Amino acid sequence: MSHHLYLLSPSDTPLYSLTHYSSKPAQTTTTSPLASNLPSWSTSAFAGTLTALSGATSATQAHHVQGGTVRIGGGQDRHVIQMIANASLDVVEEVVRKDNMMYLKSVDKFNEWTVSAFVTPGNMKFVLLHEARNDDGIKSFFHEVWELYVKTMLNPFHTAHTPIRSPVFDARVRASAKKYL
Amino acid sequence: MHAAPHPRFSVLSASAAQSSEHLSPAASSTRFSLPSAPSINTTAPASKPAPPRQTIYDRPLNKTRAAEVSASAFAFLFSEMVQYTQKRVNGINDLERRLNTLGYRVGMRVLELMSWRNEAAAKAPKREIRFLPALMSIHTQVWRAVFGKPADAIEKSVENADEYMIIDNDPPITRNISVPRDMSQLSCSSFTAGIVEAVLDGLGFPARVTAHNTPTDQLPNRTTILIKLEKSVIDREEALKT
Repeated sequence: MSHHLYLLSPSDTPLYSLTHYSSKPAQTTTTSPLASNLPSWSTSAFAGTLTALSGATSATQAHHVQGGTVRIGGGQDRHVIQMIANASLDVVEEVVRKDNMMYLKSVDKFNEWTVSAFVTPGNMKFVLLHEARNDDGIKSFFHEVWELYVKTMLNPFHTAHTPIRSPVFDARVRASAKKYL
Repeated sequence: MHAAPHPRFSVLSASAAQSSEHLSPAASSTRFSLPSAPSINTTAPASKPAPPRQTIYDRPLNKTRAAEVSASAFAFLFSEMVQYTQKRVNGINDLERRLNTLGYRVGMRVLELMSWRNEAAAKAPKREIRFLPALMSIHTQVWRAVFGKPADAIEKSVENADEYMIIDNDPPITRNISVPRDMSQLSCSSFTAGIVEAVLDGLGFPARVTAHNTPTDQLPNRTTILIKLEKSVIDREEALKT
């Protein structure tokens, strides 16, 4: 089960991104409702975005429809992930105007990826793509990332548009991801 | 620096104005609470080879007793800032604009840090999305975080619907500045105006913020921070009101 985190500046430039593979057992992901009715070879295109895009052969597709964890051999298609994250920004902007919470729960859903967002008072957006539900863990994770971000921001040389390249920040975020996700 | 006689007010210990401290965390041990402080470092093992240096991520964000700065130290720094700017500009407007920019950089950090200190403990941290509550929070919380007490008055202009004013009877940062008569229009509180502008920008209410001297007989240092909101904010507020 993997998670993708993006920190976006107020002008929507990505300042930091992280991919985290969780070692926690995946909760049973619900099979898409189509899967039961349609033949396996057609629904697998919807059930697994990544396998469909990486052009998996029909032999392997049969495994994935069962709803177990999707094991992708080799790298995932990063462009799709980024596209999903970008597409969710529209929804985030809409919710931000109406809701005065910082932690916006899940704002968007795309096949098996859910997008959760957290907006800081300084209008920085933290976007997390994940597969399974984990509201409490994600909330604590965002909280810790927020704290790390505030500390980063206190650096007088850091503006709202500087990419965050500190290895300490990276290590802390990874540790926090391992703890909560 | 920590001697009792100095009058102090709590300037944010980690504000951008004190840039030298951040460049060398080891050298700042005289001012900030250091190695013995409880660090928020939870799990990350120190995989650095040599003695692990204290990074900014190890210092706690909450205010500690040792984090206050004496007013005279800040006055010294501020006077340097004004002199530095004065050498490089030609005109009062430009000077005010530069001080505004310096204040903007502080304000960005004030906003995040203040929100963190106020909301981190809460179950569901909140942000302000309507203008009037945001303005009230600036009036009390920002002023309290930066100067130690809420601002003195807050007013809405009757002539223009998009102007608001925050009034401070004796701004601490200009207390020790005497302005020559030919520059009487200058208000070094443009620095404070910059802080307010950054806070409003961060919250999503772009505005033009300026500072003006409005002395009265009893209060010769009285300063007004004038906030002129952009049209988009007014329209949005109208739409949200219904």
